[in-house]
Amino acid sequence: MPKIDVQRFLPLKTQWFHIMLALAGQEHHGYGIMQEVLERTAGKVRLWPATLYGSLKRLIEADLIEESDERPAPELDDARRRYYRLTALGRRVLDAECDRLQELVRAIRVKQAMVTK
Amino acid sequence: MNFAWRIYRRLAEAFPHEFKLVYGTEMVQSGEDVVEEIAKRHGIAGLIRLVADIAIRLPVEYLSEMRRDLAYAARALMKSPGFALVGILSLGLGMGVTTSVFSTQWAQMFRGLPAVTDPQELAMPQSPVSYYYVEQYRAQKNLFAGVAAFQNGIPFNVAFQGNENAKPVRVFGQLVSPDYFSVLGVKPQRGRVFSAAVDKPGDAPVVVITDRFWRNRLDSSPDALGQTLRLNGQMATIVGITPKDFRGALPAVLAELFVPVTVPAALAPELANDVLYKRDAKVFQAMMRLAPGVTFESAEAGLDTITRHLEDQDISNPERAARGRRVTLLAGGVMVPIPRALKPVVVGFFAVLVGLLLTIACMNLANMLLARGAARRKELAIRLAVGASRFRLIRQMMSEGILLAMLGGTAGLALAYWLALLRSQLKLPQALPEEFDYSLDWRALVFTFALAIICGIGFSLAPALQATRADVAPSLKEGAAIQLRGYRRFGMRNLLVVSQVAGSLMLLLIAGFLVMGFSKTNNIQTRFDANTMYLLAIDPVRDGYSPEKAQALFEKLPGRLRTIGSVGSVALAAQPPFSIAGVTVQLNAVKDSRDASRVLQSVIKETVGAGYFAALNEPMLAGRQFEERDERTTSDGSKTLPLPVVLDESAARGLFGKADAIGQRITEDKQSYQVIGVVRDLKNGLPDETAQSGSVYLPLTRRDFASPPAGGITIMVRSDAGADALRAVRSEIASIDPNLAIFDVRTLAGYLELSRSFMRLALDTYGGIGVFGLVLAAIGLAGVTAYAVARRRKEIGIRVALGAHKAQVLRLVLREGVALVAVGTVLGFLGAIAMVKILSALTSIFVEAFNVATNDPRLLLGAPLLLAALAMLACYIPARRSAKIDPLQALREE
Repeated sequence: MPKIDVQRFLPLKTQWFHIMLALAGQEHHGYGIMQEVLERTAGKVRLWPATLYGSLKRLIEADLIEESDERPAPELDDARRRYYRLTALGRRVLDAECDRLQELVRAIRVKQAMVTK
Repeated sequence: MNFAWRIYRRLAEAFPHEFKLVYGTEMVQSGEDVVEEIAKRHGIAGLIRLVADIAIRLPVEYLSEMRRDLAYAARALMKSPGFALVGILSLGLGMGVTTSVFSTQWAQMFRGLPAVTDPQELAMPQSPVSYYYVEQYRAQKNLFAGVAAFQNGIPFNVAFQGNENAKPVRVFGQLVSPDYFSVLGVKPQRGRVFSAAVDKPGDAPVVVITDRFWRNRLDSSPDALGQTLRLNGQMATIVGITPKDFRGALPAVLAELFVPVTVPAALAPELANDVLYKRDAKVFQAMMRLAPGVTFESAEAGLDTITRHLEDQDISNPERAARGRRVTLLAGGVMVPIPRALKPVVVGFFAVLVGLLLTIACMNLANMLLARGAARRKELAIRLAVGASRFRLIRQMMSEGILLAMLGGTAGLALAYWLALLRSQLKLPQALPEEFDYSLDWRALVFTFALAIICGIGFSLAPALQATRADVAPSLKEGAAIQLRGYRRFGMRNLLVVSQVAGSLMLLLIAGFLVMGFSKTNNIQTRFDANTMYLLAIDPVRDGYSPEKAQALFEKLPGRLRTIGSVGSVALAAQPPFSIAGVTVQLNAVKDSRDASRVLQSVIKETVGAGYFAALNEPMLAGRQFEERDERTTSDGSKTLPLPVVLDESAARGLFGKADAIGQRITEDKQSYQVIGVVRDLKNGLPDETAQSGSVYLPLTRRDFASPPAGGITIMVRSDAGADALRAVRSEIASIDPNLAIFDVRTLAGYLELSRSFMRLALDTYGGIGVFGLVLAAIGLAGVTAYAVARRRKEIGIRVALGAHKAQVLRLVLREGVALVAVGTVLGFLGAIAMVKILSALTSIFVEAFNVATNDPRLLLGAPLLLAALAMLACYIPARRSAKIDPLQALREE
């Protein structure tokens, strides 16, 4: 399979970025992703349910995330929920996006310093 | 909160099946989990946001599903290119013709006049009125905001300033009352238009030119305003240029300039004889703008009352005693005003023809999709079994149909565009140049694609429903060859085939009737080689001649031309021979007061000069033809001396039966005539649209020379010398007066070819429609038979294994097809006859054509036989395959 160019996914849509960021550390189900994003951003970013599942569908179609077949410990498992994780491509895309954003942040810092001076 | 939650759940349920299958429960559950928290934290705004979010996602998901469907459908179509091609082509042809008809019908009848303000407020009486009447109408301020008078198709010989030596060119325009532009609500793009306040009788002549005239003939010269033109030999100053698109009222006849009726009669011979003041000179069209709040009906009723009143005052008016409506109002603000009573008929006729065509095309596709759906039954059954919803599969198959229809619609649009192009290049053999806007408009575009979608849904829904109705289990077990409900005697497919055969036979018969009727009535036979007759036209009055001088010219012209060595015979006429621009009149035979005088309606009137019939090689059946002395008879004033006339056989028989017509008196209107000769019936180029009853030939007289018709006076010259003779004739005319404009130069053969080209287009269209219907029906039948063979593979295999002969198998398969074709043929035949009767009853337009053709055995027997033969062939080819079925293989398939 030819290597897919990660650049064509960049910049990532906001909700895609948040979903992928939520999946960076661990696998989550949809509701879990929603909660994770909400907590991480201190309630500032809310993924509304329909948008969330629509985005999940498209992320799967774009081969950035996949359904996980590993289930968590049975006592924590909710059988009705599907769990998602990043694919290899998804990890590369997220990595590239983070680099891009860091680059941006660096530029912003320099400019900000010039302004405040 | 509960309310928002209910909406959320309802919306979640409405998501596409595939989406729900994977994410449905979780989405609902997540919503349930967060709804309380959202309400707490964000209040009402949060709940609204929650619902809005899901409401927005809903169509997005459907669109994405549809895109997937279309992609799948495109792949499926590409896998069977034959099926796709036939579908696209047949649908494309059907839609192309439909759009083309729609565009032209629309253009001609419903499109408003360009550059005119509120065209829907305009109305015009169907028949011309006198200027005096227009003035009376104008006084009815409660009914009309304004009433203008105009004459269209008026020729002007125009010479341009600073170019004295160039010959004048013939340009067509309108003669209009000063308030013409204000009634139409047209503002000039430069200069001024006429107005009742400024333009008075006796003023120096002025003219308003169209943008087209300005561009083509004055090279868009910036100082065109104020320039003078020589119109019919008189000076006139250009005072204004009309807006770009404006083409005048009744734009079917091209108008390039507008001249006010206030100019002297020397400039416009149409104004001679005080036509502005004679109340019986009904030569003007009236254009009225309805006053605010006045309906069309009340205007018509009001106008009728006024007209009745006006006519009652006029004692000499023969129509005074007539009963019934005097005035019929037409919508004046459209391209071609037609009587409202006729509109549904004309539209209806085309709707029937086109509707049949489109129905056949759609049925064909329905049939093909039906067969295809059956062939894909196994695939569908598997998908149903693994959990696809029926709705999902139907949507899938429908999107295939829609895709096909869209492609067909695109093909159709291309065809319609091409037809419009073809039509715009068609020249009509009339004295007046016509101009139609045949381009497609955006409404046609919308129409085609709306039609495409409707067809796509229509013809894929039925097959899709049927294909998914199958029980899953037996389909899986027995595979594609399974027995379904197709054996029902009146199954949908059989119904489709029957109606398809019936529909295409109807189409074929109606088209055939028209084609044969028209071609029979349009069969002009000359008694000599039409290439040896040259036609030229001159119009000296419009080159500045006085009536007396013009008459003197016409008296000496034939003699001068005959002196040319190569010229055989010369004759003059007010219209080219076999012209389609005929005027019909009513003739009365004056008997010696013994029995009631016979009346003959719709006689074609032609005005011809001395030696006309000799020039056409037509011997007189009785009496004599016109001589030069007949041209000197004055027609008006001296009622004691009747004008000599020549009748053709039909008219003579109609008026006098078997009695000798020579010497008999006849009257037309107030004019009385004496018959001096009879000729054989000369067909004119007109398709017999009106039930015409022969022709009457009047001699050319001073009056015709003084104000020739729009086509001028035609000079007919016979010569075998080819183009040399034409050159000699031209130089001879130039030697009499080098400034005479010679126009419409052609051979008689060329002229006839032109008139036939118009008919031929109509014939080709109708014929094409008929043939197309036939081909479509054949394709449909072949498809159905092929499907039937495939469906009965196993059965046939068993029969062959048990010893059935090839012929027996063939008969078995064909039997079904024959029955369908027979039923369809009978129904189609009856339908066509009924349609002809209905159309004939509704309008006289088609009566003649139908009358001629409906008795023709070639068509009555030929068309059904042709159809049946083709249908049987279409059955036979796939049926032959049945005989080739290998029983072993067929039985092993299970």
